[in-house]
Amino acid sequence: MESIDPKGIFDLPNTSLIFWTVITFLILLFLLVKFVYPPIRDHILKRQSEIERSIDEAEMTRKEARELLAEYRRQLDEARGESRRILDDARKQADAQRERTKKEAREEGDKIIQRAREEIGRERESALREVRREVAGMVILASERVIGREVNNEEHDRLISQALDDLEAEVAGTTNGSATGAATGSATGDGGRTA
Amino acid sequence: MMGMLAQISQEELREKILHTFTAGTDAWEIPLHIGPIDISITKAVWFLFLGAAVTFLILFIGSRLLKDRPGAYQVIVEEIYGFGRNLGGQVGDEGRKWFPYTLSLFVFILVLNLIGLVPNSYPVTANISFTLMLAILTFLITQFEGFRRYGPVTYLKSFAPPGLPAKPLMVPLMWFIEVLGEFTKPLTLGMRLYANILAGHLIIYVFLGLILFFGSYVALISVPLSVVFYGFEVFVAVLQAYIFAILTQVYIELAMFREDH
Repeated sequence: MESIDPKGIFDLPNTSLIFWTVITFLILLFLLVKFVYPPIRDHILKRQSEIERSIDEAEMTRKEARELLAEYRRQLDEARGESRRILDDARKQADAQRERTKKEAREEGDKIIQRAREEIGRERESALREVRREVAGMVILASERVIGREVNNEEHDRLISQALDDLEAEVAGTTNGSATGAATGSATGDGGRTA
Repeated sequence: MMGMLAQISQEELREKILHTFTAGTDAWEIPLHIGPIDISITKAVWFLFLGAAVTFLILFIGSRLLKDRPGAYQVIVEEIYGFGRNLGGQVGDEGRKWFPYTLSLFVFILVLNLIGLVPNSYPVTANISFTLMLAILTFLITQFEGFRRYGPVTYLKSFAPPGLPAKPLMVPLMWFIEVLGEFTKPLTLGMRLYANILAGHLIIYVFLGLILFFGSYVALISVPLSVVFYGFEVFVAVLQAYIFAILTQVYIELAMFREDH
């Protein structure tokens, strides 16, 4: 068919081009809609849902992590408090122990001192008795020699007592009453034995 | 003086400038006929096929190479698809169902525009038979959607806008104007694309033709200008493809949602 425009600028109607345009475009449209757009659409949708899922997952993980962190912090705080408590207890116990030990040691010391004192007292008493006995013996011997004869029992006792009293007066106030009593008693006993 | 500079006559120059467009109808011809109708495959039709093949292959290969970690090519294909998806829903969200049609139009026209910029090719989109045919296709879809959604009576009535004064006079008048507008839509749609692409090519050819007419020293001016216009044509190629596609989508959706606007 002859075109009304041989130069081709206003190419109407170009029946062959019109015909093939319709055919070509419809085939192209069919192929694109059938084979091209669905996979692209599916892919984009798939990725979109994947991204959404990833975001959700990330959010969940972050929330979990935050909870875990809070839990750990709480546990840490608890542990710290616990340790402080244990430490305080230990310190208190140690203090108490120390106090008790100190007290026991002091008591023990006191006891030892006391015992030592008693021991000393006893030693001194026995020493005194020994001295008294020696002195009594010496006094008798001296008296016999001075008088030149044996004094009778009565005289004997009187002399001993006198000598002892003199001696005791010399030893002065260091000797207590009981010691005197004991000394007297034993002196009497000695005197009896000696006689 | 001018006669000495002239290398060729004006008639010959016109032939040279229009050579691309005349060649579209008679070069590389395979004669075919359906009855009296000429459906010969000419250079224009060959480039139509080439454009369709390139369009299909770009998108098809892209759709078969989809990976979870997209490369540059996949990103481009996905962006084209996403862009096409966003073409839908201009008036109402339901209009999105027509976006595959609009998107195909966009890529097809864009590819043909760009192929047409290759020297010695044929710019199919600068042929009014092609652009008007696509515009008529859009028109048919538009009217089909309008009639299907509202039924013939409501749809035809809806052309007269509501709330008119002096009803007996204004309603038929406005109805007639609106119906006329419905037919001018595809006409302007086709003409716009055709005229823009044709004008772009003609400007380049005319600038280069000046060299043939006035002598080779004109090349100092016309070659740089041609290059500038060539660059501008690349921009126009994208812009006009976009305008054609988005207007197609808007026309269809306006018919779908007549009472909403």
